[in-house]
Amino acid sequence: MGEFGIIAQVLVNGILFGTMYGIAAIGLSLIYGTMRIIFFAQGAIIVFFAYICYWFFALLGLDPYLSLILIIPISLLLGMGFYFGLFKEAAALEDKNISLLIAIGLMWLVENFMAVVWSGDPRTVVTAYTSWVLRPGGLNISFTRLMALLIALLSSVGVFVFLKRTLIGTAVRAASEDMESTTLMGINPNWVNAVTFAIGIGLAGTAGVGLATVYSFDPTYGFTFVIMSVIALAFGGMGNVFGALLGGIILGVLQGLGAYFVSPTWADAICFGAFLLVLMFRPQGLFGKKE
Amino acid sequence: MVKKSKKQKMKDEKLAKHPFNLLKSLIPTKLTRNHIYIIIVALIVAAFATVPSFIDVDTSYFAYFLFLCFLYIVIAQGWNVVAGYAGQISLCQNTFFGLGAYTTALLWLLDVTKTGYYFDPVLMVLSGLVPAILAIIIGIPLLSRLRGDYFAIGTLGVQFSVTVLFLKGGAFTKGADGLHLPSTVFQSMTPYYWTGFLLALFAIAVVYFINRSRIGLALKAIREDETAAASRGVHILKYKVFAFAVGAFLAGIGGSLFAYYLFHINPDSVMHLNWLFFPILMCVLGGNGTIIGPIIGAFFLAAISSFGDVYFAQMHPIFSGLLIILVMKFMPTGIIGLKDRIFSRR
Repeated sequence: MGEFGIIAQVLVNGILFGTMYGIAAIGLSLIYGTMRIIFFAQGAIIVFFAYICYWFFALLGLDPYLSLILIIPISLLLGMGFYFGLFKEAAALEDKNISLLIAIGLMWLVENFMAVVWSGDPRTVVTAYTSWVLRPGGLNISFTRLMALLIALLSSVGVFVFLKRTLIGTAVRAASEDMESTTLMGINPNWVNAVTFAIGIGLAGTAGVGLATVYSFDPTYGFTFVIMSVIALAFGGMGNVFGALLGGIILGVLQGLGAYFVSPTWADAICFGAFLLVLMFRPQGLFGKKE
Repeated sequence: MVKKSKKQKMKDEKLAKHPFNLLKSLIPTKLTRNHIYIIIVALIVAAFATVPSFIDVDTSYFAYFLFLCFLYIVIAQGWNVVAGYAGQISLCQNTFFGLGAYTTALLWLLDVTKTGYYFDPVLMVLSGLVPAILAIIIGIPLLSRLRGDYFAIGTLGVQFSVTVLFLKGGAFTKGADGLHLPSTVFQSMTPYYWTGFLLALFAIAVVYFINRSRIGLALKAIREDETAAASRGVHILKYKVFAFAVGAFLAGIGGSLFAYYLFHINPDSVMHLNWLFFPILMCVLGGNGTIIGPIIGAFFLAAISSFGDVYFAQMHPIFSGLLIILVMKFMPTGIIGLKDRIFSRR
């Protein structure tokens, strides 16, 4: 495999992993749309579901992809629960910093809870197909990464269809444009917020399964993950489902290239630098329209 | 007006000569609320200043606890200026803290200023100024272009970039291993107690004077409504950058004090996310945007983490997370806000 082949491989890996950032970013984007906060706990919750997936696998012997059938409803309910349990009062307040701080508190709680329950050691889900590798045109694509890509694409299409085709989805889109007018049209803001939370956490659940099968993870990994998702979100522009996914892919590729050409630690610095530049000069995102 | 009888006059004079009334005439006739506050503050300061004469600072855990409280007060007031008064959520306070610690360590190890180094005022002021200058450099572009959440995530980007720079600093910062200060100079905890105490007083004084001045008024106006403040002629960028720099300065001198305590400076210890979350937690617990709130928060948090360390080690971060959620849910204005809520309830 020549130089070109390696770069192609780096690109493919970047795309495959970037979709993980992408689905986390879609969740952040939806929650930002209606609640106007960055939901910092997203990363910790993704890792939490990775652990749940690990438990289903290690204790019950459940196949990770099969456990999606359980994890998706659990995560949807958990999202609703989070909204009604924690954010309902704060969402009605003018001061959005309170919701933001609740999210930070939740992140801290979940992260340390995982550190106590599952200890700080990295975990992996190793199944029979973890080592399967597909070789189209000289590239190595591991089966689990491809599945993660597939899950990410399916769930983002699902969310997109839900937002475009259903009445609740329309309400969510309307609320992210203008919450006040939407409320005046007779839509209950609590239900809109609860639905966005449910979808956001649901996406975190699917991302968690993808993460568990591909990478080893530990409790503190969530924070890195949410930061990367925020960067993906900034690349794609707030409130844009496919923009967020594309932003994640761009970020994944950028990280991969940076790691290959410079070094893995500097790759992160390159991502943050690009992120700051995008924030400064295109705050509406790379694909957003200028307001 | 009724003329007083001679008898009455004599009685008054006699009463005025009474020792008790003579004494009373020395005190201002009207003991205003301000006088009471000054007396209370003076008593509290005197109480903390006499602590070292009652307990042995070197061996007592209580003295260490107070040192921790003082350190927390300094960094909490730093965040209070940026977020509580100016309303800008800065998520790179730990960077400023770490930068202050690294400034102290590097100037000491590279032998730059030729002053005493150990508890050297020059070094501590420089450790505050370096983060403040960084805050001005990054604050002007960030604060002029980004608002609210975008500013928060922008500072997060700065934070990670700087941490990576220090991790990859090569021979200059010694990477992840960090710098070792000559720990042989350590003799006693007493200077730590006094320096911490003075720095805490300094931080409180800074916030007090900002609060009373036109700057504080401008910052509060920006926090409440930026557009309205701008239309009233407040130079928004100038004041925001000022608040950001003051916050960085306080975090930096806090970092310097911690560097003297730790002697081993590495990115994982001084740029840890705890140094970002603790000030936030202390401010919101006590009451953001007040002078006394962060002080109460600092004592509260130090008490909880010390108690937690002793009785359920490793579990207490869970409680702090839970605590932020509960406080924000049930009393979003903090412990200070409780007073208003109790008195306003009829």
